[in-house]
Amino acid sequence: MISPHMLALIGEWMPQLIEAAGYTLKMTVLAYMLGAVIGLALALGGMARQRWLVACCRGYIEFVRGTPTLTQLFLVYFGLTSFGIALPSFEAAVVTLGLHYAAYMAEIYRSGISSVHRGQQEAAQAIGMTQGEAMRYIILPQSLRVILPPMANSAISLLKDTSVASLISAPEIMLRANDLASQYYMPMQLYLITGVMYFVLAYPLSLGVRYLEWVTSRGQRSSIAGPAAG
Amino acid sequence: MTDWARTYENLPYFLDALLTGAVMTVIVTAGGFIVSILLGLVLAACKTSRSRLLRTFAYIYVEIFRAVPVLTQLFVIYFGLGSIGIKLDPIPAAIIGFGLNGGAYLTEVFRAGIAAIDRGQSEAAIAIGMTRGMALRTIILPQTVRVVLPPIANFAIGLLKDTSLASAVAAPELSFQAHMLADRTFLTTQIYLLVALFYLVMSLPLSWLSRQLERRASRGVRA
Repeated sequence: MISPHMLALIGEWMPQLIEAAGYTLKMTVLAYMLGAVIGLALALGGMARQRWLVACCRGYIEFVRGTPTLTQLFLVYFGLTSFGIALPSFEAAVVTLGLHYAAYMAEIYRSGISSVHRGQQEAAQAIGMTQGEAMRYIILPQSLRVILPPMANSAISLLKDTSVASLISAPEIMLRANDLASQYYMPMQLYLITGVMYFVLAYPLSLGVRYLEWVTSRGQRSSIAGPAAG
Repeated sequence: MTDWARTYENLPYFLDALLTGAVMTVIVTAGGFIVSILLGLVLAACKTSRSRLLRTFAYIYVEIFRAVPVLTQLFVIYFGLGSIGIKLDPIPAAIIGFGLNGGAYLTEVFRAGIAAIDRGQSEAAIAIGMTRGMALRTIILPQTVRVVLPPIANFAIGLLKDTSLASAVAAPELSFQAHMLADRTFLTTQIYLLVALFYLVMSLPLSWLSRQLERRASRGVRA
């Protein structure tokens, strides 16, 4: 399968695919930041004392987690145009993925925050901190240990989910692969190369996450477990 | 006539088309789910086996299939295999694609489930003369069920939503029907909101089930 001709073709494709990978990474980072910020707001809103705020946040989270990314992507990209909002495909993908992951991240924050013992909150208020101060200086820092590993896992899922953006023609790896596949009519070779590129991006991340999980479980793990090899 | 009025007028027709798609979505989900479970069990058995070769194979399989987007895998199976003479229909291609992908996820779920059972159980089984296979089948796996059911329910919810990607290989499921309706009527907002509702109706019972299972699994373990 690897003939000189094939190598020449790969040489032609790679610069284009690598350029597209740049867009994939940019989309991942922007959507991740959006998701992390909105997710925190949703998590705090979901624990607020105002009933309506809690209901809104929970409703949003249930809706987003119960429907496919693809449907949400179409709602944002095509649906918003009927309200006069026309986002370019890349921006629409960033917004959709950000809003989508916010719901998942909210659940991560929530479980992290609820993993901190109640007494910490009470103690912080007893020494005169406001609820906001207690959250910022006492609760959140301690919840990081629970929050960080799944948050890092989200980054990997998000990286892979950006491939869905190709279905609204947002520039990223899959879209470029589709273009090249129809141009050269070599779908097998191109999608395999695309798979390798995603692997190269995602696998080191997943090794990093496993190391992070190992580090954050310090003091709780049994002595025989090393950083999981698989 | 406003778009909403047009939607209301055509609602029976839309619901009919979307319902046909929803049935297909359930078929793809169920098919992919069964393949995933079987493959996950086999690979988890490989991962916990004594043979280094089987362990390495399972490790490589899981890492590859988990690091590559399922959309890419679907395209390799549908367009890629199609171009080298193995032409699959969209629905079988989707079931195979989601099954191969889901198998990798469930391998980890099953492996973690097996690891959660105390070593003494398998030692005791072997001590009373069982073979390793027998111990796994009659002692370890039944105890694992309680641990793995909640993540499996969560996996099913994810799978249900992921099947929307099968529309990209022209499988006539819910999202595909939606694209066709949206192309024909230009009522994109209304149709995709309807579709979202369809997915919600299908996934909410599953997520209720997963919460119940989680509660039951933690019974006797929680503080």
